[in-house]
Amino acid sequence: MNVISDTQFEWFLTLAVGLLAGVWLVYDAINLIRTAGADGQDPVIRDKRFGYVIGMVIGVIGLVGVLRFRGML
Amino acid sequence: MHRREVSKWNPANAVTASRFLTLPLFVWAVQHGYRQWATLFILVCGLLDKLDGLVARMFDCRSAFGEMFDAITDALCYGFALIVVAWHGWAPAIPVALAIALGLTNTAMRAQYARRIGRATNYKSYAMERVVAYTGYLIGFATGNMEVTYFFWLFPVVMGLVLLHDGKRMLLDPIPAARPA
Repeated sequence: MNVISDTQFEWFLTLAVGLLAGVWLVYDAINLIRTAGADGQDPVIRDKRFGYVIGMVIGVIGLVGVLRFRGML
Repeated sequence: MHRREVSKWNPANAVTASRFLTLPLFVWAVQHGYRQWATLFILVCGLLDKLDGLVARMFDCRSAFGEMFDAITDALCYGFALIVVAWHGWAPAIPVALAIALGLTNTAMRAQYARRIGRATNYKSYAMERVVAYTGYLIGFATGNMEVTYFFWLFPVVMGLVLLHDGKRMLLDPIPAARPA
């Protein structure tokens, strides 16, 4: 029982994950740059930087996954 | 500054609780092999997770309880959905078992952190917020049969790294001074 065709579903997954991962990567990269001037000794700032780096890593994982899914890697 | 009392029976917590309603539908879809419907239901569960924060801001009903309830709901919904997809062979069992073990470790560390602070609180982890979102997508990758092995085996690596960082912050580092509400 499908909602859309298998091909449409594959493209939906590709676009949804690809867009999300790409936006996530850029969003957290901008967040990370914004903390550049902040006090690096503050534990909250360090937590934020770590979180943004993890967000970027997850973004890259998502983009690589999409490329593998489309047979480009 | 005095912090306003917020009832537990508020719109944001209602949205959070409504996420549990997607689980029986999700199980039904997986049991019948309806991958697209299963993806849709887990997507709705994830969207409701984003909506509850928005509702909390709109109705000004943010609370420590709401944050805890949200975190517990994330763990229960995503943990349950992960078990369901692994049980039906849509995801590899070992990384799912690792993810659940790491999730339980995270919960235990948060409980210990609350004991150290001496009140019910939820440690704000920017990294774990992102890992929780990744968990939601994992279930989508399983239901959509999208690079399942790749995404599932990378997940415990990322989550393990975040747990090491957060464990140090919650269990070893000094308790931060309370900030005004």
